[in-house]
This record gives sequence, structure tokens and C-alpha cells, in this order.
Amino acid sequence: MKCVRPLLLILAVAILTAGCAFVRGTYGEEVKPLDLSSIKKGTTTRAEVASLLGAPDRIVEVNGHEIFHYYHFDMKSGLIIIFSRTNIMSEDVFVFLDGKGIVEDIVVGKKKPSPDMQFWPFGD
Amino acid sequence: MRHVLTLALLVFIMSVPGCMRGPIMWQRLTLNQPIVEEQVDFIKKGETPLSEVAKELGAPDEILNLKNRLVARYHFIDTRYLRVDFGWGLRFVIPYYSPDLVLGGGGAATNVFEVACDSQFVVQEISFAFHQNSSRFKLWPYGD
Repeated sequence: MKCVRPLLLILAVAILTAGCAFVRGTYGEEVKPLDLSSIKKGTTTRAEVASLLGAPDRIVEVNGHEIFHYYHFDMKSGLIIIFSRTNIMSEDVFVFLDGKGIVEDIVVGKKKPSPDMQFWPFGD
Repeated sequence: MRHVLTLALLVFIMSVPGCMRGPIMWQRLTLNQPIVEEQVDFIKKGETPLSEVAKELGAPDEILNLKNRLVARYHFIDTRYLRVDFGWGLRFVIPYYSPDLVLGGGGAATNVFEVACDSQFVVQEISFAFHQNSSRFKLWPYGD
């Protein structure tokens, strides 16, 4: 009887944690601040941007300006028995080029915090 | 003997969740953290450039070309889903046939913060689009 109780407790914990999954995934390359600092407005060319950051994920054209769009997604997902929550955070970089293919502006935000690893789906 | 049976039952139950879905599941998916109106107080129409907006709020998720202006959009998605399988327990009574009797539902809400800029990438208009109420756990799929 003495050894059955701890065993039952261990099994109860095992049951409660049996349906668990914690997953992390990313999409796209993260643009490194060092690479961004190498891009100078008014001098860096389209080809240099592509060699530093790689080919853009998307190109948008606005009023004769080309905009290189780079994106990166970070996902964390937690599942415990019947509760599941997935949080995704996106990080984007836009490089504006003028009609001659020279960098005009870079739109990049401050580094966003990594998404939380959560399983509780209620609340905020 | 009773303990042995209890242990056997526990071992059986323990081995089950790994290979089949439970009867109830609450799921939620979020993309990014929402921006509130207080966070955009620094934006002055006709003065603030888009690069300054990005420094404060992060880069937008999308830039659209609309004739001679540009619209930068920040997306926040919140999706909730609830699913209950009322036939789940029948698998213990009928071993080779376990019908799914599922009720469930949910909703996805997309909140958008839009920044419209002129051809020089200076902010001209800002707007929020809230659809937060459409993200709910719904068990009853019928009705309006």
C-alpha cells in the first residue's frame, strides 16, 4: 500500500502532462542589425542591398519607388491537454529605393519582444 | 487486486491522450500585439515621417500603393476556437466504431492600424479598424 500511493501520484502527474506539446517555428530570415547598419541612405545600391540582406520576400512599387520588403515570423505554441495557444510575432524591414535604384530610406522598427510561450487561451 | 486494476486503468488512460484527441479543446492563435490609441499620440499629420512611426511602433506588416500615396498597415489577429466531441466517450463502449458528435465554433478578429502617407512618406492620415468582438469561443454553431 505504501508504494502504491507514490506510484499513483507519479501516474497522475504523467496523465496530466501526457497531452503536452511545446513547439517553436520561424519563417524567413531574421535581418541582422549589423547588415542594416551597412546600408547607407543615398549611396547603397539595389544590388548591394540584395547582397547584404538577400533577395527581398516581396517588392512593392509606389510612385516610381521600389520598396524591398523582408519579413520574418516567430511562432511559439503550447498545448496542455485541452488548452492550446499559439502566439506569432512578425518582424518586417522595408528598404525604399529611388528611381535610380539607390536607397532612399529604411523602415525598420525597434526589435519586438519574442512571442510568449503560453497554453492558456483565455484572457488577453 | 483493486490497486492493480486502478494502475492498469491509469496506464491505459495515460497511453490514450498521445494517440487521440480529447473530447474538449480550447484553441487560440494570436499574431502580434495590438496597438492602442495612446501609443500613436506622437504622430502629427503632415509632419511625422513613416520611418519615425516605425521606430516607435515597429515596421508595418504591409505597405500598399494607392495612386500617388502609400498606406502602411499594422495587423493584429486574434483567433479563438472551441470544440467539444460528445461522441468521444463512446469509444470505450463501442471499441471499433467511435462516431464524432462535434459541436464547436470560434472566430477570427483582425485589428488593423493604418498609416496613410504622401509621396514623400510623411503621415497624412491614421486610422484604426477594430473587429475584436468577432474573436470568441462559440460552442453552439446554430442561430444568428
